Amino acid sequence: MTALLDRTWRDAVAAEWMKVRSLRSTWAFLAGGMAATALGALILFMLVGAYDAATPAERLNYETADPTVVTMPFVMFFVGAIGAMLVTSEFATRSIGPALLAVPQRRLLMGAKATVAGLVGLGCGALFALLAFADARLLLGDRPAPINPWPQWTDAIPTVLCATLVVTVTCLVAMGIGAVVRSTAAALTIVGTLVLVMPTFAHFLPTVWQLRLASVLLPNLTPQLAGSDHPYLLSQGGAAAVTAGYVLLALTAGVLRFSRRDA
Amino acid sequence: MGRMIELRELTKRYGPTTAVDRLSCEVRPGVVTGFLGPNGAGKSTTMRMMLGLHRPTSGEALINGRRYDRIRRPLHEVGAVLDADAAHPGRSAFTHLACLARSNGIGRARVAAVLDEVGLAGVAHKRVGGFSLGMRQRLGIAGALLGDPAVVLLDEPVNGLDAAGIRWIRSTLRSLAAQGRTVLLSSHLMSEMAVTVDRVLIIGKGRLLEDTSIHEMRDRFERDVLVRTPRPAELTGVLTRLGATVTPNGDGDLIAVGVDAPAIGDAAAHAGIPIHALTPRSATLEDVYLQMTSSAAEYRATVTAAPTSAALVGAASAKENN
Repeated sequence: MTALLDRTWRDAVAAEWMKVRSLRSTWAFLAGGMAATALGALILFMLVGAYDAATPAERLNYETADPTVVTMPFVMFFVGAIGAMLVTSEFATRSIGPALLAVPQRRLLMGAKATVAGLVGLGCGALFALLAFADARLLLGDRPAPINPWPQWTDAIPTVLCATLVVTVTCLVAMGIGAVVRSTAAALTIVGTLVLVMPTFAHFLPTVWQLRLASVLLPNLTPQLAGSDHPYLLSQGGAAAVTAGYVLLALTAGVLRFSRRDA
Repeated sequence: MGRMIELRELTKRYGPTTAVDRLSCEVRPGVVTGFLGPNGAGKSTTMRMMLGLHRPTSGEALINGRRYDRIRRPLHEVGAVLDADAAHPGRSAFTHLACLARSNGIGRARVAAVLDEVGLAGVAHKRVGGFSLGMRQRLGIAGALLGDPAVVLLDEPVNGLDAAGIRWIRSTLRSLAAQGRTVLLSSHLMSEMAVTVDRVLIIGKGRLLEDTSIHEMRDRFERDVLVRTPRPAELTGVLTRLGATVTPNGDGDLIAVGVDAPAIGDAAAHAGIPIHALTPRSATLEDVYLQMTSSAAEYRATVTAAPTSAALVGAASAKENN
């Protein structure tokens, strides 16, 4: 029985992997992530140019040129969209019917989708975080702090790892949101609000509330998890708890909604 | 083969509306069973409950003694088509089936084989979005056949098909049943059922109205006998004494209700009255179906066309006489 379950599980995951690979939107969103990374590199290139032209006194006022701050929220949106589409594309095209006829155990199906969302998030997160890191290393060279956040390349490792983790979490959260709302437009709007709109919105709040809100937003969890210099309020443990909370909340809501509603 | 579908007091309510009401029946292997009812009768809801897509409010639907969602790798046991459009338009036919097949441990060779079986091998790598309705129906059936299942369920499979497609589905279903499989198809078209199925389950407003064979249904609703004789007045007297109700039809022929054709022949021979024609007339299955479901139809326009009304009266009087 356990062997059959294992085989059933493996087959369900393999089928979901095949589905995500065969969706054109997957490749479009990956291209979006690539474009965001390239755009981030261009912005960094311009910033470095301005830095080089500045006086030594002006250079001291430059903020850290951490590319994950500029690039990763957009990457999170595009990779999250892939996660959401794992569920919403099936509702939009009514192919959720055949999917459930093939795997009628809804928790198993959601588990297989979550596994694939996790793998996509992990792979894409690592890819784009490393690319952003490589861009920064190439463009910043041996320039000093504060513009260079990583005087040694090894200093970047915690940030790259944590950025990868946060992209993975975003992909899982987006999948859970997709299972709750079942609509691609609604899911992408919510994911966009979480990773792109809310951080901007937070800036308009009074400082105390700005920090409270900003500290629990997905894009800002990366520096808090990495323990690097940041203005936010959470310790590494607190950031880890909030990160886990996002996954737990979104996936539980998604599984419950998916399991209880008629398809 | 030899798998059976059982419904036990299956009920589905949406708020105050009861879509399926304590439905109990069995669908047996080796024959094509039709699931017939007007629009809104609860056919699709019932089939979706059988397949675990909708959850029953109470009761259960079992396939070979198990709920569908308890079956591991169900494509090996049950094949179903509920919606011809249920495929991602951006995927090719082959990829669509390969994704389903992979989830049940079915190889790509089988995908190619079923595409060939339904006549889609030539367009296997074309996107589903460019398929006609008939091609999508064939793709759905290919998906249902992937695991070579013993039970096949199809919801309104001939909707929108051309004549060739309808003929293909009919022959496919009959051939599946002949192999000993359990085949259930739903339709709101009695005319289609009459030429495709062996048994019929008629439902209206979510309730089972009839569970019978097509032949029993025809026999039960025999309407009257048309008699042509050169001596209608004498034959009328003879048949009336037998207890029949006899009326002239205006062409010089007689219509006898309440007596069958052999009895009319015997009585006429005994009285020495020649008979030139003797035609038992049944209500069409369409008429019978309309009569049975007339009070159970969810949505129906008022019908004023004379032929249908006349047929209904005939069928109704035949039922009373039975």
